[in-house]
Amino acid sequence: MTASFVALEDVCKIYNQGQPNQVRALHNINLVIAANSMVCLQGASGSGKSTLLSIIGCVFPPTSGRATIAGKALSRMPDRFLTIHRRNTIGFIFQHFNILPDLTVLENITLPLMPLGIGPGARKERAERLMEMLSIGHRSNFPARQISGGELQRVAIARALINDPPIVLADEPTAHLDHTLSLAFMEIMRELQRAGKTIILTSHDPLITQHPAVERIIAIEDGEIHVP
Amino acid sequence: MMSFARQANIIDYSLSSLWRRRFKSLGVMVVFAGVIFLLASFQMTTKALTNAASDILAFAPEITIQKMKAGRQESIPLEYKEKLAVILGIRAITPRIWGYYFNETSGANYTVLGLDPFSMPLGDQLGEAIDTGALPLDHEAVLGQGVFAELAGGGDAVIFSLFRPDLSLKTFSRAGVFKAETNILTYDTLFMNLDDARDLFSLPADMATDLCVTVANPNEVQTIAKKIAALLPDTRVVTRQQIQKTYQGVFGWRSGFASICLLTALAAFIIFAWDKASGLTPEERKEISILKIIGWQTSDVLTLRFWEGVTVSTVSFVVGYTLAYVHVSFFEASLFRPVLLGWSVLHPALRLVPSVELGETLLILCLTVVPYLAATIIPAWRAAIIPADSALN
Amino acid sequence: MFLNSWSLALSLLSLVVLILIAIAVRTAIKVLCSWDPASDSNRQIRLENETWLSSTLVQYAMGFQIMSLILFVLAADYFSQVISGAMCATGSLAANQYGMPTLQLKLLGAFLSGFWIILHAFDISSERYPLLKAKYIALICLLPVLAADVVSQTLYLANLKPDIITSCCAVVFGEGGESTGNLLGAVPQGALLTIFYGLAALLAIAGYFLRKNPRSSLLWLNGLVWLLYLGVSLVAITTIFSSYIYAMPYHHCPFCILKPDYGSIGLLIYGTILPAAFFGISAALAEVIPVRLGIKEVVHRFQRMAVLISSALLVLFVLVVSYHFVLYRFMGGE
Ligand SMILES: Nc1ncnc2c1ncn2[C@@H]1O[C@H](COP(=O)(O)OP(=O)(O)OP(=O)(O)O)[C@@H](O)[C@H]1O
Ligand SMILES: [Mg+2]
Repeated sequence: MTASFVALEDVCKIYNQGQPNQVRALHNINLVIAANSMVCLQGASGSGKSTLLSIIGCVFPPTSGRATIAGKALSRMPDRFLTIHRRNTIGFIFQHFNILPDLTVLENITLPLMPLGIGPGARKERAERLMEMLSIGHRSNFPARQISGGELQRVAIARALINDPPIVLADEPTAHLDHTLSLAFMEIMRELQRAGKTIILTSHDPLITQHPAVERIIAIEDGEIHVP
Repeated sequence: MMSFARQANIIDYSLSSLWRRRFKSLGVMVVFAGVIFLLASFQMTTKALTNAASDILAFAPEITIQKMKAGRQESIPLEYKEKLAVILGIRAITPRIWGYYFNETSGANYTVLGLDPFSMPLGDQLGEAIDTGALPLDHEAVLGQGVFAELAGGGDAVIFSLFRPDLSLKTFSRAGVFKAETNILTYDTLFMNLDDARDLFSLPADMATDLCVTVANPNEVQTIAKKIAALLPDTRVVTRQQIQKTYQGVFGWRSGFASICLLTALAAFIIFAWDKASGLTPEERKEISILKIIGWQTSDVLTLRFWEGVTVSTVSFVVGYTLAYVHVSFFEASLFRPVLLGWSVLHPALRLVPSVELGETLLILCLTVVPYLAATIIPAWRAAIIPADSALN
Repeated sequence: MFLNSWSLALSLLSLVVLILIAIAVRTAIKVLCSWDPASDSNRQIRLENETWLSSTLVQYAMGFQIMSLILFVLAADYFSQVISGAMCATGSLAANQYGMPTLQLKLLGAFLSGFWIILHAFDISSERYPLLKAKYIALICLLPVLAADVVSQTLYLANLKPDIITSCCAVVFGEGGESTGNLLGAVPQGALLTIFYGLAALLAIAGYFLRKNPRSSLLWLNGLVWLLYLGVSLVAITTIFSSYIYAMPYHHCPFCILKPDYGSIGLLIYGTILPAAFFGISAALAEVIPVRLGIKEVVHRFQRMAVLISSALLVLFVLVVSYHFVLYRFMGGE
């Protein structure tokens, strides 16, 4: 992999451009993240962490500037192609897990594979390998609403990894976890990094920001990268 | 093919998602099945009635000649038969008496049909419509089910009397009763010999009410009818096909009118369906935003909604259509009887045999499923464009 | 004659199609006026979302248009029981001057919306949406065709009058008692059959070579021959093959073969020839897409698939349509 796996050049994001409720969330961001690294975006609430993570995660394109994610330049690209790039390269882990409570654990994990036309057998096979790795195999057929927070977190990780993406993004992953579970989460992230993935987290939890596995902290303040 | 597997997966998901929201889906399906039931029963009833009428009309003469005076029908002299001898292609001309007899005691109007069945082509086939198979001889009559019920009280009375215009009594014995399958035309009929009918109505001996013409080659009916009309300018010439079309016209009109009422019900349902499809719960919005951020396309969500619509329609259609079939064939369309059987020739107490044909099915499908699917497109699209980043907040 | 279920269903169906396309055209106009791929404004995001609505609407509209086409033929058959002188759908379609044009407009509408969907698929295969303008101009052009369909159908139904027997007329006659014969005049059978099977063979051979090597000139030729063959086969079905299906030498009707009386074999016949011609023609039309747009790969893949589908359907069509003919002519089935 190239050294600059994620490269942002003069990236700006303005929500509701041209409207009275226009918000300038990111301003002239220049950032390079190397492949196979683990970085953490840190900043106060409303500083633009989630927005930056969304651009890296190909959720929406930047308003201006150039973003190159896993070898693909994403300046103003239709939603359809962003989605295609996103599902091939990004695994998302959310603060509130975003697991569908009425589906089983297995169904939740294999959800990203449905529109790819992967048959039920192959879906199950892939999911079982991940569930084994994350030791939630015994929960496979439980409805997601019936399992504990820690297990839910691991279901979310399994879902993020089901398509074997090179980049894993996590937005405030430990905000709803206690100390032990947070440490366990960071261990899993470290394992993933060892397996060759690039990990990008956002957090203001010192447990993460001061975790030995985190190689680099990127401080964000009012939509700009803060250089101390 | 990849896109085929994709469709299969999305169908799979749409079924499970409908099942998870089964109470919401069930509401729509029940109402939809109800609307389909109403429309389909109605269509089946009209279709069955039309079929019944045309089956029986097939026995009617190919051409009927009636004498007209001052725009009204009057008796036709039998000598008109001779005038038609010049026309080639006529197989037979049979005089017929077709009149109405008013029964003062019950207030009912009977249709009296006087024919000489033995001189009439296919006359022997008439016997198939009669339970005893016997055609009426002198002083005998065959009764329709309704007439039989009134005159013989449904019992086994054999002798009964009717009044001539001068109030003298004419006595008949019962030769048989028309079978119930032919009720649609024979329910109120009294079928007797030509001479007895003439006697009952006090018609002169050389008169009938109309002349029935049988034609050798069915393709020549129109031509011969034209020739007859030219030869006998004071008559009205009616072909069997025209009678059949008039029946259909009246039926079609009635069913169309009722369809409009039913379409109102359909419109109400469409608004209901639109409303149901638009009202997304926060959970549903959340679900879609999650699907989208983990890699589902807007078009995938649209496809999902399409299959949900198809599933709802299919289930409702099968249920509604089956119930309609049961309603029409086993409960004799009891809901629509009053609307459809309003005109004089038709009477109740007939067994309807609905036919399930491709065309009829497609017709009901177009009237119900198409508007439903069309009404759900925009709500489905509104759901599908929920942005992926709303899952982040 | 609007007050019957068939007319109501037809009117409803084509109005629904027209409304769907009209909504799509609204988006088309907005896109043509203010599409700006470089912008990140809410309006651009809304427009991008609306493009999904418009393509979905056209897809539904095409489905409904096909249903409307089938329903129209079946309705014509039903009307023949009501109109004096009409014996089958041919008679009712000929009952006034709007019948056949309506049928042709419906077919045209289905074909054109199908072409549009292919155009759309090409367009969204590239990140730059290279055919966006062309696609939406084409969509706007589709609207008048569908509007003409609605108008023509309404005129047809309005002018369809069953002859009700009323007691004020001396003689009531169905007009057009003779119109039950051919839609077409006499066509020399031998020549027609030669052309029919000759062209079919030609198309099959062309299909074989095109799948290996989709050359532009051959594709165009193939498309033209398909257009011709569509016409020839419709004439051949009407004047030759149908009467063998009916086993009646003087019954030439392209519609009665759809009836259950003949096993609805017509559904299979039209269900093969029409899509076959559609794909054969669209493989050629896809050639108009310029190479410089950078979607040649997608276009080629489509053309190969289209040629394959049209060849397969062609074989099926020729087999089905010849079945009764061969049975009668060569096996001596009387
Ligand atoms: N969809 C949106 N529309 C308009 N404004 C938005 C939207 N999303 C975020 N913003 C605004 O953009 C700015 C940056 O938001 P962002 O969510 O990136 O911050 P954050 O650092 O993740 O904050 P938090 O720690 O609270 O999650 C904020 O002022 C926010 O109000
Ligand atoms: Mg945030």
